[in-house]
This record gives sequence, C-alpha cells and structure tokens, in this order.
Amino acid sequence: MKDLMRIKSLISQDIETLLNQQIKKEAHSSSLYLSMSSWCDQNGFDFSADYFAKQAEEERMHQLKLFKYVLDMGGNAISPEVSGIKTDFAGFREVFEDALEAEIAITQSFKNIYAKCQNEQDFVTMEFLNWFLKEQREEEYKARRALELFEVIGEEGTGRWEIDKHVNKITYSEQ
Amino acid sequence: MEKACININELINVFSIKQGSIYQSDKLNCFFVDFGGKFARYNCLSLRKLKKVVEDIDIDALLLNTHKADFEVVTFNGCEHIYLLNACEIVALKELLQGTFTMFKLNHLISDCLHRLVV
Repeated sequence: MKDLMRIKSLISQDIETLLNQQIKKEAHSSSLYLSMSSWCDQNGFDFSADYFAKQAEEERMHQLKLFKYVLDMGGNAISPEVSGIKTDFAGFREVFEDALEAEIAITQSFKNIYAKCQNEQDFVTMEFLNWFLKEQREEEYKARRALELFEVIGEEGTGRWEIDKHVNKITYSEQ
Repeated sequence: MEKACININELINVFSIKQGSIYQSDKLNCFFVDFGGKFARYNCLSLRKLKKVVEDIDIDALLLNTHKADFEVVTFNGCEHIYLLNACEIVALKELLQGTFTMFKLNHLISDCLHRLVV
C-alpha cells in the first residue's frame, strides 16, 4: 500500500498543527507589538514606538517564514485569526514587562515544538527551527536589556525620557 | 461516485468498523469513504479536512441542546459530499477516521522499515 499521506506531506499532522499554532502566536505577537508601538507613540515615547514597530515587523516576518515552511512541506498553512490584543497599559514599564513575557512565551512554544519534533524524529523541521531558536536568544536578550534600563536609569525625573532614548540602541552580538 | 464505477478489487481496505470502511486506491492516489450509504472519493487533503470537521463537532452540546435537532450536517468548503448524521453516526465516523489515520501512521512506519531504510 502506497504511503499516500507521506507522499503528500513531509510533516506529520501533529507537527503541522503545532506550526499553525505557532503562526497564530507570531501573528498575535506582531499585533501586540504594534499595539505597544501605538501606546508609546501616544504617550510621547517616540524611540520606543519605533522599536516596537520594528519588532512588530519582525514577528510578522517570523509568521510568514513559518507559513511558507508549512506550505513548502505540503501542509495546510492556516491564516490565523487574531483577537484580544491588549491596547492599554498601566505605564511605560508595563509595556516592556509584557514584551519580555511575550518573548518568553514564544521561546517556550518553540521549545515545545522542538521537543515534539525530536520525539517524532522530524530532523528536517528541527533544522528549520534552529533559526528561530537562535532568533529567540536575541529577542529575549533585547527585551530583558530594555527592562533592565528601568533599574539602571530609574524612572524618576527625566528617567523615562532617557530610557526611551536608549531603547532603540540595544543590539545583540554573539561575540 | 457509485461503487459500480470502481473496481473494488483494486482498492485496499485501510480500516473498517461495523458502520463503514475507508479504502485506498494506489492507482488513483485517493481514498474512498464508504459510510452513511455513500461511497465518496477524497484526496489526502480533503480526507484530513473531513477528519478535522468531524473531530471538531461537540457531541455533548449536540445531545444537550434541546432547541436543535440531534443531527449535524457534516461537510466543508470545496467538499462534494454532505453527510447528515446523528450523534451515534458522528461517533462512528470519528472512530473510522481516527482508525484510518492510525493505519496511515503504521503504514508509514512499515514503509520506512521495509523500503526506505533497507541497507
């Protein structure tokens, strides 16, 4: 008997489902970052607004990368419905706390998919996911560093203005 | 598609239960679902969609909702077939599809061992 399902698709249905869930999570992150950008802009934090707008674009790019992979492997990529995006934040610091929390959730989610791939011996998808795992190192680093600025600079006086100026300068280097 | 159009001897029985069967045609690269008085042809993608649609039906809600008939229309966009099933039939179709996909996994493992990983 021909292995028709395997002929049609390289990835299993379970992996396809997980990747589609990840597509949705990336779309959610992208929208959340855009919402953060909007809040920052409205409250006069121009550099942070730019920082979050760039992050939103990056998350969108991650979403499309996953989307293409599912399709390329013969799967059914699902354009996600995104709802329930937080639009109001209690303060400048909360925006960055939420950003770090979102990145931690994304990292955890990738680890879960990787574990499932390992279980299924889906080395092709594991290799594909390596790029995302590496990317998460940078994403979490940047989000953590941004939050640390609140401790280093402090919010008093012109503190928030200084923090806003420094957010855009955070870069990650492996070396 | 009627059974009469298909040479049943060319089909491989993937999985069967009392209420129906699912066959695979290696010649046509497709599947035939013999269930609820229909003998319907599906490709890989549409069979997976059918499984998802059936699995997404909330049988508890179907049985407990007194304002609705205990029947459910089972179909999806682009599907040529429509099933009108009661709760028992939905459970049976779910069992048939899940059994079939388990057989696909088993067949995949066997194909790997017998043909793809032979040294």
